[in-house]
Amino acid sequence: MNGATVAAPEGVREAITDLLKRGLSEKLWDAALVPARVPAGDSFAWLLVRDGSVLDETLPLPPVMAVQGARAIYRLARRGVTGKVAAVLRPCEVRATIELAKLKQVDLDGLVLISVDCPGALPLKAYLDDPQKGDADFEKLCSGDDSAAREVCKVCHLFSRPVSDLHFATFGMDSGKSCVVAGSDQGRLLLEKLGMAKAGSLDKWERAVAERQEQKKQARTKAQATLSQDVAGADKLLETLSHCINCHVCRSVCPICYCRQCYFESQAILMPPENILERARRKGGMRLPTDTLLFHLGRMSHMSLSCVSCGACEDACPSAIPVAQLFSMVGDATQSQFDYEAGRSVTEPLPTVTYKEDELAGLVAPYTETYDAREASP
Amino acid sequence: MKGPSMGNEFEPKILYILCSWCGTGGAETASAHGLHYPENVRIYRVNCTGSLPAVHVLRALIEGADGVAVSGCHPGDCHYESGNYHARRRIANLKKILGTLGLGEDRLWFRFVAHGEGRRFVDTAAEFSDHIAALGPNPLTTRKDT
Amino acid sequence: MTEALKITKTPDEAIRALLAFLLESGKASAVLSLDRIGQDGAPIYSLITEAKGLESAAPLLPMMPSNAGKLLAEMTELAPSPEPIAAVLKPCELRALVELKKLNQANLENLLLISTTCGGVFPLAIRNNGGISEKLAPYREALAKGEVADGIRPTCRACEHFVPYNADLTVALVGGQANDGTCTVLINSSRGAEALEGFEGERTQAKLESDAIEALRAKRAEEATKLFTASDTAAPGLDGLINIFGRCLACRGCSNVCPICYCELCYFDSVVEDPTPSKYEAQLRHRKATRVPPGTIAFHLGRMTHMVISCVGCGMCADVCPVGIPVATLFSMVGKSADKVFAYVPGKNLDEDLPLKKYEVDELSHLGEERIES
Repeated sequence: MNGATVAAPEGVREAITDLLKRGLSEKLWDAALVPARVPAGDSFAWLLVRDGSVLDETLPLPPVMAVQGARAIYRLARRGVTGKVAAVLRPCEVRATIELAKLKQVDLDGLVLISVDCPGALPLKAYLDDPQKGDADFEKLCSGDDSAAREVCKVCHLFSRPVSDLHFATFGMDSGKSCVVAGSDQGRLLLEKLGMAKAGSLDKWERAVAERQEQKKQARTKAQATLSQDVAGADKLLETLSHCINCHVCRSVCPICYCRQCYFESQAILMPPENILERARRKGGMRLPTDTLLFHLGRMSHMSLSCVSCGACEDACPSAIPVAQLFSMVGDATQSQFDYEAGRSVTEPLPTVTYKEDELAGLVAPYTETYDAREASP
Repeated sequence: MKGPSMGNEFEPKILYILCSWCGTGGAETASAHGLHYPENVRIYRVNCTGSLPAVHVLRALIEGADGVAVSGCHPGDCHYESGNYHARRRIANLKKILGTLGLGEDRLWFRFVAHGEGRRFVDTAAEFSDHIAALGPNPLTTRKDT
Repeated sequence: MTEALKITKTPDEAIRALLAFLLESGKASAVLSLDRIGQDGAPIYSLITEAKGLESAAPLLPMMPSNAGKLLAEMTELAPSPEPIAAVLKPCELRALVELKKLNQANLENLLLISTTCGGVFPLAIRNNGGISEKLAPYREALAKGEVADGIRPTCRACEHFVPYNADLTVALVGGQANDGTCTVLINSSRGAEALEGFEGERTQAKLESDAIEALRAKRAEEATKLFTASDTAAPGLDGLINIFGRCLACRGCSNVCPICYCELCYFDSVVEDPTPSKYEAQLRHRKATRVPPGTIAFHLGRMTHMVISCVGCGMCADVCPVGIPVATLFSMVGKSADKVFAYVPGKNLDEDLPLKKYEVDELSHLGEERIES
């Protein structure tokens, strides 16, 4: 295990900030992308920092995930970056970045991805209502009590060791200590250049992570079984979506939904009044705006294979629809059909761009020569 | 062949999506051999099953189709080399979405049909129509809240 | 005094009966009305084509899940409706529709526009906070007395245009007569008159400008003053804007639901505004750090320059904002000021051109007068 020990007397955030400062001054990277509390104090925003002194005002691993880190990276690096940018991300933000790289929306070459064990994040609206309580709730999260965490965080088993360059290990470690683990060649090189002391045994961490992963996997299975009972079938699904006002905020905060102009906001979905009247007549009525269910199912068909269950969508929904839980459930099912896990590997191709000549044999009912339900005469 | 429906038998609205090469070819071969497929099955031609957007299938299932079948060239025969492979994955993905949400994943079928397989084409149309008739009307198509 | 019809039913029942009449008589092929969907009775607009579908309709419910003016514009964007459609809209939704018509985004042909004197709508957040059923009685009582109802959208509290313009029929909901078990519908056009022919009710003369309406108007003006001078939105300055928009996620929810923002691809999401490495470099040359995504305040100010003159103060933007920024209050306030410069009321006069589409040779003399005397 390639890792280095970092003293973290004030917690891992200080260790991360120190590392970022060192990297800037030793020209390992030219800028850092890291969250910071906004001036009003009630939320967090991403800052691209060149001057090390500003890093003292930043807060890696904030209590909420206001703008998904991969979305910030996409806005930053869509047309490339100058020099190297070190970004401090939650594991789901790393995974979304990897997916965006595979979708050719981000070039990983200019980036150093730094991640940290994630205890989860708090629901955004609740935090905004009372940031002080939120900060206290986050302390609880960090010490293992996830009762205040977002629903998707409660069942997240991918909270550690994504495919980042450097990962800060905290779970199970003795307090005041953290470890930086390299996850790539670039990461290994960086640790060498930083000349950090080699880490001792990481057994405790690995055991703690494995145990937590097992717990979370079980919780995930249970939660999805319950969710399925609540949303499966036309009646229940449409009841779940009944309050949807088609604002599309879920789509625009999603890191995977990168389309500048979404299909569901384009001319393709615009219909003349004759069309709308005809459809309304056939059904005895039609909710407006049209195509609510089509939007959600269509969005699933477009991005569920890359869904990283980050929960940005549900945080943003003004109608309190459990959209992240819904999309996570569908994402898990569609990804496992192809033995795929979004963001697991940079080299693993997206299921949509590859195929096997022999696969999915059970896709359709077997054909018996000459189906004989009827006479073949005209 | 099944004529106009008599009595209270439910006659499903079937959309049968065919690629322009083998799929349509299969239909043409069937016609050349005097084979018929049920009247409630409507053909919808796309260039290649690989070019069929998932959203079109969803649109059909929400707006009026009781079932959607898709047929294209067998593996190795695709006019565009690999369109049918991508279609197979895309349909499998869509079926998984529908299945996970309990929206009737078996209202969507994918079957390869070759240019000369007229028999296979009409059989698929009939078999799928009967299969959907047994499932009953698609609950999505008559709802006002989609 | 205007021609009116007095119906011996409560307003809710009366309007539902009227919509049923329009459908059954063939005077309308479809009606656009607020509906209650599913077990939870979610308030959602619906296009209803048969009288049976009106069972769940709630045309006068004080909720706005979408701006109905935007819905009608989206429906008639490509072509006018080929068949008559009756729509029940709130005054601001109707004003938005009129603005959209001026922007060539809507066709008003074949539309029967039914509106009401409006007591405002409740914020969407109420759906997750116990719902509105308990709020309806006190709401109606306040309207009857010409008072500002409790708990409605801030921009509704401050709205002075609650008597609709350009409606074919106006349902009187403000004033004592609205709560006495009858419903008075004012007939403002021949289309409106034709629609009501054959519908049961007492032909009468009525006046909208009642004491209650005068009182409400005065109270709303007070609220407007209060709202627009409130500490967190009045003359914010750059620091104030940074505080207000600090938590903005650039989600575009506000512009997505705004009736006036009709662009399929917003300028601020287009290639022109794409941040490139050189743009970031330029930023970092005179700043120690820069925010990503960039241009938070620029988006909002830019959106103002594009649409605030037509802002109808419906308040959809603030309701949809995931982080509770008082977008509507700010935009409404700025819109009001901008409109004053041009003596313009968005959506009031169908024949009045948009201020930025025309000019007078001699106007705005306070601009452009500075000359350097050589």
